[in-house]
Amino acid sequence: MKTGNALRSLLPVLVILALIAAVPLFSPSNRFLSLAISAGTNVIALYGLSVLFGQTGILSMGHAALVGVGAYAAAILARDFGVGFWTALPVAALASAVFAMIVGIPSLRVGGHHFVIMTFAFGQLLAIVLTNGGDYTGAATGLDIAGPVTLFGADMSDLTRYYLMVVAFVTAAAVASWAIIHSSYGRTLRAIRENEKLAASLGINVGRHKIGAFVVSGVFAGISGVLLAYFLGHISPSQFSSFPSIYLALMVMIGGARLIEGPLAGGILVAFLPEVLNLDPVQSRIVYGVCLIAVIMLLPDGLIGGIVRALRVAFSGKPKQEAERDAAPSEARQ
Amino acid sequence: MDIFIQQFLNGLSIASVITLIAIGVTLIFGLTGIINFAHGEFLMIGGIVTWLAVSAGLGFPIAVVLAILAVGLMGYILERGLFRFTLERPTNGFIVSLGLIVVLQHVVVLFWNPNQKSIPRPLTTVWEVGGVRIASVRVMVILITIAVVALSFRMITASRYGRALRASVEDRDTAALMGIPVRRYITGVFVLGSALAGLGGALLIALFPITPFTGGTMVMKGFAVALIGGLGNIYGAVAAGLILGIVEGFSAGYGFSQWTDAYSFVLMILVLIVRPHGLFGGTSGPRMAS
Amino acid sequence: MSPILAISGLSKQFGGVTALAGVDLAVEEGEILGVVGPNGSGKTTLFNVVTGVHKPSGGTVLFRGRDITGLAPHAISRAGIGYTFQQAMAFAGLGVLENVQIAGEHRRAGGAANPWPTPQALLDFVGLSALGGEKAGVLPFGSLRLLGLALALATRPSLLLLDEPAAGLNDRETSALVGLVRQLPGHGITVCVIDHDMKLMQMLCRRLAVLDFGSKIADGPTEKVLADPKVLDVYLGGDL
Repeated sequence: MKTGNALRSLLPVLVILALIAAVPLFSPSNRFLSLAISAGTNVIALYGLSVLFGQTGILSMGHAALVGVGAYAAAILARDFGVGFWTALPVAALASAVFAMIVGIPSLRVGGHHFVIMTFAFGQLLAIVLTNGGDYTGAATGLDIAGPVTLFGADMSDLTRYYLMVVAFVTAAAVASWAIIHSSYGRTLRAIRENEKLAASLGINVGRHKIGAFVVSGVFAGISGVLLAYFLGHISPSQFSSFPSIYLALMVMIGGARLIEGPLAGGILVAFLPEVLNLDPVQSRIVYGVCLIAVIMLLPDGLIGGIVRALRVAFSGKPKQEAERDAAPSEARQ
Repeated sequence: MDIFIQQFLNGLSIASVITLIAIGVTLIFGLTGIINFAHGEFLMIGGIVTWLAVSAGLGFPIAVVLAILAVGLMGYILERGLFRFTLERPTNGFIVSLGLIVVLQHVVVLFWNPNQKSIPRPLTTVWEVGGVRIASVRVMVILITIAVVALSFRMITASRYGRALRASVEDRDTAALMGIPVRRYITGVFVLGSALAGLGGALLIALFPITPFTGGTMVMKGFAVALIGGLGNIYGAVAAGLILGIVEGFSAGYGFSQWTDAYSFVLMILVLIVRPHGLFGGTSGPRMAS
Repeated sequence: MSPILAISGLSKQFGGVTALAGVDLAVEEGEILGVVGPNGSGKTTLFNVVTGVHKPSGGTVLFRGRDITGLAPHAISRAGIGYTFQQAMAFAGLGVLENVQIAGEHRRAGGAANPWPTPQALLDFVGLSALGGEKAGVLPFGSLRLLGLALALATRPSLLLLDEPAAGLNDRETSALVGLVRQLPGHGITVCVIDHDMKLMQMLCRRLAVLDFGSKIADGPTEKVLADPKVLDVYLGGDL
């Protein structure tokens, strides 16, 4: 019965993703597909970030750097070793995971509020290293990545096919993130989020699990990076510096980090809002910033969390609210 | 030797601006636990106000005062309107500051385009002393910073308010129990920190052109300095600011300028790994004990 | 028989302040031992040093003959010592049942037969089975204390350290807690209670150890210790 409940929480996401996969039937514009693909690559990284932030309670402000490690790994593998997309995928995921561990061990040792700053600093440092890396990293101009992506002999480089492939990856990321949330590992991470001291008293190795969660989020980021690199065909350091990191954090905040719908909603909203409202990039960034502040101040569970709560109040809220109001004074009396 | 002295002075003038940010960062974090990443944007706004005032034909000294007042006012409004509500959850305050970064930068871009902005140097004299070329504008920046930092020190060490402030940074809850109006001090520190950032921005644009995105790197340096010095520790911030500014100055002078921005991060990461509470010791911020 | 926990010469300095000055203490298998002392006597420091929150300045802690001095908190728990805090009792944002599930998932492998094989059985034992679906954060204080006890028991300890387990409880809740703790030795769990509440200690413990200024000043059967002039002196004007 319990797994049934858990499965039901995954269902809305699967339905939405099925609808998204059906979009090419309505012959969308190339612009729509491009936007959707870059939103999709973000969503994959966001599912990793939701494990880190939503479940473990650790915020990374250098997450774009982990995406960048994946992207550069793919580009360098293709250039120097002639390695294609499918081989690059696990290697890049591993590279990002290792980088996450290298960043995570000292950062988490420092602990507390400082962790956020450490991840940001490491992200900045990576961008500087990539910029000063000479021919190896292509310096400020970055690297080209040319090479078809094929699947069972079919060329996936076509926009619609790449779109469908990204949707499949997003689905896999959502399912993986869901599986983590509903596993005993997810429970362990939530325990750390709620109270580290108590978690340790119950035999949980807090430090190791925090680094572990960071490494897991690195795997998602690395895969996202490979997809992004092969889609864009060109990558440069500025794509992975501090601002992209802030936007990733913003997306996961706006969507809500603890719900399985959150990353999907956040990624799609942030990508398509400017199109819908017909904003230029500058205006849309101001809107993002204001949204982020508003969400944090008014809806700490994110937009979707807020909507879910509002719906709950609208449908069954009244009796529950009253019950809660009744419970409070009796508690005080004791 | 000549180039040594010259780089030392250059480094010192950079250190001045970084220190002005770091003092604000360190005080705000010490008292509220809020990591205000938007502090760099406060500095940038200070520079933009100076640029607007000078472009409108006002003199540099008036422009500096306007920058201090404008950014101080902005700090007041943001503290009253936003950060006040995040005191119980400092992480939210940090996220709010990220939103502010994006908003402030792009509001500036929206009204005044993203290009570099500069003002004519307020002082153009260059002294030649024994083969060393000393730009008077750099000396001005250093002297103003020394004066302001000395004044802040006096305020914080000698006055009754300063002692209450330091007690609040040390332990907010106990200070509140002792009847210190901590909330008002928080507002005060936000305004003071913002005003210092405004001054820093005005001094920065006197030295270099700025863009709406200057804040990002500067705030990281400010934070690096605050962390290296020990959060909440003003003396530490000044000492670490000097170290970093001089390292950067020399590195630029001896041909490693492309790595300039990396030093603060490397230094900060190293210091935090070896001494998590900074070189000179600091607080971990309020409510971090448990 | 050798004691289950043997503390010898344990000391702890904070800066120049001595919180523990070479304490020797043996907890015997199957007993409920009380460690008492006025505020600032070193009780909580003793608890924190044994559970790995603080590293000791000197001395050793042997658990079933194994040196566990200075191990990390999670390693102490895995070695088979359960402990509860005064403040952090449960994961407020998580469900009551989920709390107990988490607590049972990180214990060491093997060990004796488990008196409470499922989380539900453990909730039954502490009387919270009806509240399994609630969020821990909404529980009344007394239930939260019992949940804290359940969490520590879920790690299947052979020694349980309780730090002021009855703080904040009313008389009815306290006697419910005492009833539960008294059953623990019957389930193969040795208990060491740290508290200054003499009434609670008299209900729970046949043996008491008294700390004052970081040193042990008395150790023996409860009635004898309570008649000891040194102890009376420490507690003069207290609630004896």
